[in-house]
Order: sequence, then C-alpha cells, then structure tokens
Amino acid sequence: MKKSIIGLLLILSMLAVACGNSLEGQEVIYFGAPATDGPDGQAIQATFRDFTEETGIIVTYVGSENFESELLAQIEAGNPPNIALWPQPGTVRAQARAGNIIPLEDVGVDLDEYRSNFSSYLVGLGEVDGVPYGGAQAVNLKSIVWYQPAEFEKRGYAVPETWDEMIALADQIVAEGMTPFCFGMYSNGATGWLATDWMEDIMLRTGNGVDSYDAWVNHEIPFNDPIVKTAATYLSQIMHTDGYVVGGTDAIVSTFFGNAQDPMFERDSNGNPGCFMHRQASFIPGFWPEEAKAGLGTETTFFAFPQMDVVSDTVLGAGDMWAVLVNDEATQAVVDFMLSEDYWTGVAENWSGSSSTRITAHTGFDTSKYWSPVVAQQAEFLKAALQANVFRFDGSDNMPTEVGSGSFWVEMTELATQGPGYIDTALDNIEKSWP
Amino acid sequence: MSVLSDNNKLLATGLRIIAFALFPLLWFLFQAILFREISKAIPRSLLIFLAIAVGSTFIFLLYIGMNKIISYAPKQYQEGLYGAMFVGPAIFLLGLFLFYPAIRTIYLSFRDKYGDFSVGFENYIWAFSNDLMKITIRNQFIWLLGVVSLVILIGLIVAYISDKLQKGEAFFKSVIFMPMAISGVGSSAIFKFIYEYRPPPLTQIGFLNGLRVTGGQDIDGNDCKNNVIENGNKIGYTGEGCTEPIGWLQQRDLTKFKAFENVSEVDTLQSFFSNLPLNTILLMIIMVWMYTGFAMIVFSAAIKAIPSEITEAGRIDGASEARIFLSVVMPYIKSTIVVVATYITVTVLKAYDIVFVTTRGDFETNLLAVKMMDEFSKFLHFGRASTVAILIFISVIPIIVLNALRNREDTKI
Amino acid sequence: MNYSQKWYDKPISKIILVTISLTWMFPYIGFLLSSFREPDAVKRVAWWNSLFSGELMNELTMSNYSEILFAENLSRSFFNSFAVVIPSTIIPITIAAFAAYAFAFIDFRGKELAFLFVIAMMIVPLQMSLIPLVSLMNRGAILFGITVIPELKITGTFVSVWFAHTGFGLPLATFLLRDFMMGLPKSVIESAKIDGASHLTTFYRLALPLSIAGIAAFATFQFLWVYNDFLVANVFLGINPRNQVITSHVAQLTVGNYGEAWHLRTAGAVISMIVPLIVFFSLQRFFIRGLIGGAVKG
Repeated sequence: MKKSIIGLLLILSMLAVACGNSLEGQEVIYFGAPATDGPDGQAIQATFRDFTEETGIIVTYVGSENFESELLAQIEAGNPPNIALWPQPGTVRAQARAGNIIPLEDVGVDLDEYRSNFSSYLVGLGEVDGVPYGGAQAVNLKSIVWYQPAEFEKRGYAVPETWDEMIALADQIVAEGMTPFCFGMYSNGATGWLATDWMEDIMLRTGNGVDSYDAWVNHEIPFNDPIVKTAATYLSQIMHTDGYVVGGTDAIVSTFFGNAQDPMFERDSNGNPGCFMHRQASFIPGFWPEEAKAGLGTETTFFAFPQMDVVSDTVLGAGDMWAVLVNDEATQAVVDFMLSEDYWTGVAENWSGSSSTRITAHTGFDTSKYWSPVVAQQAEFLKAALQANVFRFDGSDNMPTEVGSGSFWVEMTELATQGPGYIDTALDNIEKSWP
Repeated sequence: MSVLSDNNKLLATGLRIIAFALFPLLWFLFQAILFREISKAIPRSLLIFLAIAVGSTFIFLLYIGMNKIISYAPKQYQEGLYGAMFVGPAIFLLGLFLFYPAIRTIYLSFRDKYGDFSVGFENYIWAFSNDLMKITIRNQFIWLLGVVSLVILIGLIVAYISDKLQKGEAFFKSVIFMPMAISGVGSSAIFKFIYEYRPPPLTQIGFLNGLRVTGGQDIDGNDCKNNVIENGNKIGYTGEGCTEPIGWLQQRDLTKFKAFENVSEVDTLQSFFSNLPLNTILLMIIMVWMYTGFAMIVFSAAIKAIPSEITEAGRIDGASEARIFLSVVMPYIKSTIVVVATYITVTVLKAYDIVFVTTRGDFETNLLAVKMMDEFSKFLHFGRASTVAILIFISVIPIIVLNALRNREDTKI
Repeated sequence: MNYSQKWYDKPISKIILVTISLTWMFPYIGFLLSSFREPDAVKRVAWWNSLFSGELMNELTMSNYSEILFAENLSRSFFNSFAVVIPSTIIPITIAAFAAYAFAFIDFRGKELAFLFVIAMMIVPLQMSLIPLVSLMNRGAILFGITVIPELKITGTFVSVWFAHTGFGLPLATFLLRDFMMGLPKSVIESAKIDGASHLTTFYRLALPLSIAGIAAFATFQFLWVYNDFLVANVFLGINPRNQVITSHVAQLTVGNYGEAWHLRTAGAVISMIVPLIVFFSLQRFFIRGLIGGAVKG
C-alpha cells in the first residue's frame, strides 16, 4: 500500500516536472497551536520529510502560543498560512461561517473517500450546512484511567470495572493510609477542562447514556437538568471525598494538569506511590517525567473508564482539525497527502524522536506502525469506536465557546474549590450563560 | 494689498496642509513602497543591512524636504508653519496608527459579536453587570492603586537615599533597574521559582512553598523538610502534622492561613484582611519589581538637579529631614511625580503579559487588557472586546486631566 | 559645623537600601542558578537546598545554554531582531524629538490640543489596534469613498514593523522628550532665534545636543521594549520562520517538553536578557542625568 502511494506520488512529481516543475521549491506554511519545537510540532514537521523529498514542496510547520490572535491578524493582513490547525472543530466551523476558510471540495478533496476513511461522524464535526471545511487529523482517547499494574498486583487490587468497584477500591486505599487519585486541573487559560472531561465521561454512562449526552451537548435539555446534576454529584464524590485526591480538595485547582500524575511515579518512605489512579487523556504521557516515559505500557498503562448506570461502549475523545486558507496547487498536493494514510507514518514511527503520542483519525491506518504498544492499543480502541460509530467528541468543544471554553470551565473550577454544596449554583450559572 | 495678504493666507493654509498631512503621507507611502520593492529585489543577507540603513536614515529626508518648502512661504507665516512641520508627522502618524483604530473601537463597542448589528448599550451593561467583569474592574483598581503608589514610593526612597551615598550608588541602581531589561513573560517565568506549587510528595521548587513545608515536625516527631537528602535518606513533608503546600496564585483570600482560619464576618478589621485577594497582590508584586527601576531613575535625575545649597540651607537652619523632604524636595519633583504616575498608570492599564502567562485571569485575577484579548481572540466577541478597550480608555481620563492642568501651569511660567 | 553624622550616613538609611536591593536581587538568584543546573536536578531539589548542601557544584552544566545557542538559524533571528529594533528605535525618536521641540519652543495654533491628543493616544491598547493596523498596511484605507492610503501590501516586510512600533512608541516618546526640552534653558534657544537661526538649525545645533541625555534614555526604553516584544513582530512579519525575531525564536526553543522545560526556560530567558543588559549598561551614564531634566525646572 505504502509503495503504491509512493509510486503515485512519484508519478505525480514526474508530472510536475513535466509541467515545468511548477511545485518544486514552493512553500506551504502549516500553522497551529502545538509549539514548533515541542514534541507534537516536531513530529508533525518530520512526517512531511518524504513528501518534501518526492514533490519538492517545502512544508513548514509553525506553532505559536498566541495562535488564535496571530491567525486572526494573518487573515486580516492578507497573508494567512496555507493551512491552519485548530485544537477544536468548533472553531473551524466558526471560521467557516466567517468566510475565512475554503471548502475541502474546492481544494480537490474526494469527499466520499474522505468520509469513508475518517468516519462521517468526524467529518461532520467540520461541516457547516453540510459542506465539509475541516480536515480531521489526530484524535485522542479520554475514557481511560492510568495506573501501574505492578502496584495493583503487589497489594492485591483488581482493576475496577464499574464505578462502585472503583469507589470501593478508593475507600480501601484510603483505609490503608494511601491516596487513590491523582487529580490536577490547573491549566493556564483553560483551567477546568479536566473536570468537564470527567463530566462528559460520566454523562455518557448515566441518565439515558449517549442520548442524554447528545441532548445535553446540543442544549436540548437544560444544563441544570437532574441528569446533569447526578453526573456532577458523581464527580463531586471523587473531588470532595476526604483523602481521595492528592493534596486534598484544595490541591485540585492548584495542580498543573501536566504535573498531576507525577505523584504516581514517586515513592514515599514506605515505598508507596503518591497515587494509584489518574483519569487523563491518551496524550498525557508527553507530560510524564523522562524516566516514567520509558515505562509507558509496561510500568504504567491504562484501563477503560468504569461502567456506570448505563452500560455503554461509547468512547470519549477529542482531536484537532485543520482547514485550508490558501488555495493553490502546492497546498492541494499537501492536502492530498494529509488525507492519505501515509501522512501519519512519520508521527507513528517517531521519525522526529520526540515521542509524540498523537493518534491519527484515519481509520485505514495500520496501527502496528506506532512506536509504542500503548499508543497502538489506544489507536486500535479508537479505530474500532470510530468504525462502530460509538465515538463521541468532547462535548464542551461542541458547546458554544461562551459555555464550552467559558462558564463550564469557570464553574467547574469553582465547584472543585467550593464543595458539593455548590453543584446547584454551578449548573444554574452555566445554564444562564448559554447564549 | 489685501488681495495679496489673502493670497498669502491661502498659501499658508495650503502649506500647513502639506506639512500636516500631505508630506507625512507621501513619506509614509514612499518609504513603504520603496522598501517593499527593495525587499523583493535584494538577496536576504544584504537586506538586513540595507533595512537598517534605509529605515534609520530615510526619516530625515522628510524634515529636510519640509524645511525647503516652508522657506518659500511668506515670512510672517513661517513660525506657524514650522510648528506644523515639527508636530505634523507625529500627529499624522498617531492619527493614522492609533486614533483611527480607537474610533473604530468606539464604533464596534456598540455593535454585536461580529460587528454586524447595532446593540445600543448592551455591551456596556454586560461590562458592569457580569460577575467576572465586576471582579476584573475591581482588580484593575487594586492594581492601579497598589502598583502606582508602591512604584513611586519605593522608587523615591531608593533614589533619595542612594543619591547621597559616597559609593555604591551605581550598584544599587543597577540592581533595581535590571528587571526593566526583562520582558513581562521572562519576569513571570522568574517568579515561578517563587510562587510555584507542585502536588505532594514532589519537591517544592517554588520558594514560598519551600518555606512553608520546611520546619516543624509531624506527629511522629520527624522533621518536615522539602525532600532534602540527609545521610542517604530523603526527608519529605507528607507526614501528618507537616504544613501542606498551597497554590499561591489560586488563593483569592487569606483563609488558608492559620491566623485567618476562623474569622467571623462580624470582626470587620480582621475579616477585611482575611478577604485580601492574595493572588492579585502576588501578581502585582511582579509588576512593582519590574517598574520600580524606571521610577527610581527618573526621580534620581530630578533630585540631582535640586541645587544643593537649598537643602543644605534647610539643614543648617535645623529643619528636620522629613521637613526638608516635604517642603524643599517635594515641590521640586512634583512635576516629575506626575510624569512617572502617568507612565505607570498607562502601563498598568495595558498590563497584559504577567497575568496572561501566570493565571490568564482565572481565580479572580483578571485584568481589563487580558479580558479584552480573551473576548477578542478566544470568544471572537468583537463588541465586548471593544467595550473593555473603551473602559481602559476611560480609566486614563483622570491622568489626562492632571496632565492638562500641569500643561497650563507650564505654559504660564 | 558639628553635625558630624549626616542623615544619609545613618545605618537606618543603609539598612533600608540594602534590604530593598536584596529583595530585588532575590528572584534572579534562583533563576540564574537554575539555568546552570541539570534539568533533572532543578525538579528534584529546590535551588536553595542544593546551594546550602553544596550539592550545586556537582549539578552545574552548560548544556542548557548550548542546547539553545547551537540551535539552527539562531543567528538569522538575531539579525532579524536588529533589522527590526534599530529603525524602530530611531524613527519614533526622530519624529518625537521634532514634535517635542515644537511643543516646547514654537508657538502655533492648537498646541495645547495637539499635546493632549498625544497623551490620550498613549492609552490606546496595542492589542486593539493590531488588527486595524494590519489591515491598513495590507489593504490601505478608504474614507468616505476616497482612497486615503492605497493598497500597500507591506505586511511581511520589515517596514511594516517599523511603522507599527513607531505608532506605539510615539506618544510616550513625545511626552517624555517634551518634558525634557521644557527643562532646557529657554534663554539659549531665544538668543539663537534673535541671531536669526532657523528652527531647524536651532533644533539640531542646540536642542538636540542639549537633550541628548533624554534621547538616549528614551532610546533605551524603546530598544528594550521593541527587542522584548514578539507579538507585534509576529503579527506584522508573519509566522514564517525566515522572519522570526530572536525573542520569538528563543521562546519557541524553550517550550521543550510541554510546560515543564525549566532548564531551557531559564537559560533562554538569560540569553535573551544579554542584549538589553548590554544596551542598558552602555547607555547608563545618560540615565543618571537623563529623561527628565524637564521635570526639574521647578
């Protein structure tokens, strides 16, 4: 398969040579939020290596902390990047409505093929009035809990399969003088998203399962509906039960989410880890300390988020989406490549050496290519979920930004600090802020 | 005769327009287009040097050219024309680069999210009724009050004392000034080593938490230490009875501290202190640290210019030091204080990067400039963003009035 | 005279001064030390503990610095920075100096109003004017159907950054330099006028040399500000790495492994501080008299 694509590309590039070599040396700028020199930025840059060799098109990935405001300015300045990568599909739709991006069809994308490769659910996230604008790139897996099997075995703990089992295990750990959960949700400018992730996972498994989840995200039921309140109560059980989280309730909002798991890798004087379970998305190993990274999949691995009232195989995830801002031949060639299976090979095989744990949204991708067995395992999980249409995208990303990146985050942060008595106020406030 | 003078007047008006608008405009366009073409034509390595050369010298052509034109004008109008020639380019560029955006901002503040429809005062109502906005406005007041007064006070003290030192003056001044050389982002990174919180049992690498967890003993009688290795054993702070670290930038009040744990609402003075927004104060400290150097340098120059006979005379008369400072030094540097206060006020109102990189406004630490950017690039609500910008603008009116009054005084002298 | 001990020799003054200086120095120390420590050590042991236990000596390394200094294209970014900073300092100062001279020594109609306008413009938030400015420099401006500024398409070239920084720096520069020139002896300027010198001659023969201290002082401020900025540079020069300025480049390099690259962040900040400090120390002698004479006339 790979060979045939390379062959195709070779023919294409020879055609290009025949046509006066028009694409050779052309520059395509790919702009996104992940830092250029961060692990993901390096991996994305590296994956264009062969493409550039074959076509002569120079793809430059640029990442910036001020992605949002710089992109707005670049659009206004009339020299937008050829392709931009947004962390949330909702923003792609907003930009499409603002008329800043070009429909995929106009860039020469075969939409049927695109839908069948990436699942029509994902493609639909980047659609406005049925016209696809966004190209799916990577997805991650959120319905997982990280743990260390050896520490579990040593103490005779079983991996919990239901919420009640997880709570029972947590109580047991507390009774034995240790701390069950790592929980940190501080994130500069986005504090609160960890709690909204928890809420979404719980919502998928309570009330009417996926149905009430979808209704909730689309605001067909109010935010202070009893179903949502039940979910918030479950979350509050984790956050506010004495001894459940590292550092106590106060520490939740103070702990940087990228540091949150570190206590799991530390041992106290009795040889006990700082915590046993950490519910966090599949990209988190990027934040682990160097020594811990080596044990990815062996010392530290994950189990699926436990089952609750509604038995469900739905998988919660999130992902980024790119869109085209400049329509020229070189960009079209790049887009073609980015929608092919080959695009992710460089990231999966870790060409850059930066160990990115991003997983492609392409369902035809050979998951055995991933450099780490854990990533491959997650990729399998995601692929199956996408194919079976049981994948649900992070709900807060699909709510209006005023809620999804505004009041939902703020009120969840407030809930973490104020305790269970605040649940009603929090939900009422979010409901009020819905535009 | 009168026809001639009318003609002259016309000529003068024409020349004034040329000086105020046409000439700066032509200069602006010419430099822009010239350099754009140069950029296309010249290899990159040369471009840098050419850029420095062209960019640094071209501006002088503007004034030489204008001077030439004015020399043709009738004598009696030349004074006024020179005024236009000297001030014109500044006014023109400010009008183009700042006034025009400001007007557009005012317009947008009465429009909806994307600026498509008029919404009357809706954005302003939002600005004063939204809870997060109320806190933002409160914080901005605290910052203005705290930063401006602390910067002036400390700057004045250091300038006044160090000026009289026999030696070491340059050293002290350099120490205080150095933070000016660091960007807001850099300074905030530096202060992370003071405010950082990490979940236990990790080592506290922030100084405040390091202090907090060190000292005391847990219930088993072991010392609490910040993961220090002694005789091959790591001594931590997780034992029961040790003080827990706290997230300093998440503390909206002082209730996490023993002294304020059980403050009742009735006890007004104590409850006032227990409600102090600790995180906002800690962030303000970063700014004070950065800008005191500016105030010190300016005050120091002003104090140096006071004729020493005057203060010495006061001393020989036996006036107390406080009296000399208040009645001799202060009047001399009053105007300097206005300059510094103006600059710091403007800087505080624009302060953006400190909060942006530390808390980004969470935990009730937001400032107007950060809020404006969030509304603008995160929520894409141009109407609200513009309204916040207008609030920033309004906050500076008192300082403009102050300067206007001072300006009157100056002109009288 | 027998007040043998002057007030400023009293220990209390010195204690105040030393306390303030130590407080000011404290943040640097941890920061500077950390930039020379091994990445792992920074996270494992607090810097003061490492310093007191003497372990610090075994942890010292230059690798944080070399990781940044030997990055690809760093020198290109340095040159870009100079191409941005030097004109962006000279242009606003020149324009401001002329305007300040007029505010101080020339009588013309609307002077007070013009001056208030300058002060008012100080507060226009930079972030708010970025977008209109970018659009101005790209598409020009049309007022009431008349093209005032034609389509320029200069975004992405250095000249657009110079203009932007000129706009943002001009109000403060004019404000400070006017204050300075007001403090120059009026009699000197008057006598030049009586001798028949034109304003331009008076300006560059008298006013400019006399206020060189104030100009140098503001030059330093403007230099520091422009050099440390990368928002304006990124917006106007575009995101193409070819146009990157040094501070932006260093910021990119120090991101490292997500938010946790303490060792790179510290070293990166120290590296980007070097140029501003050189400028500051070489212009320092101007500061001592500088800025500000103006306010001194009493």
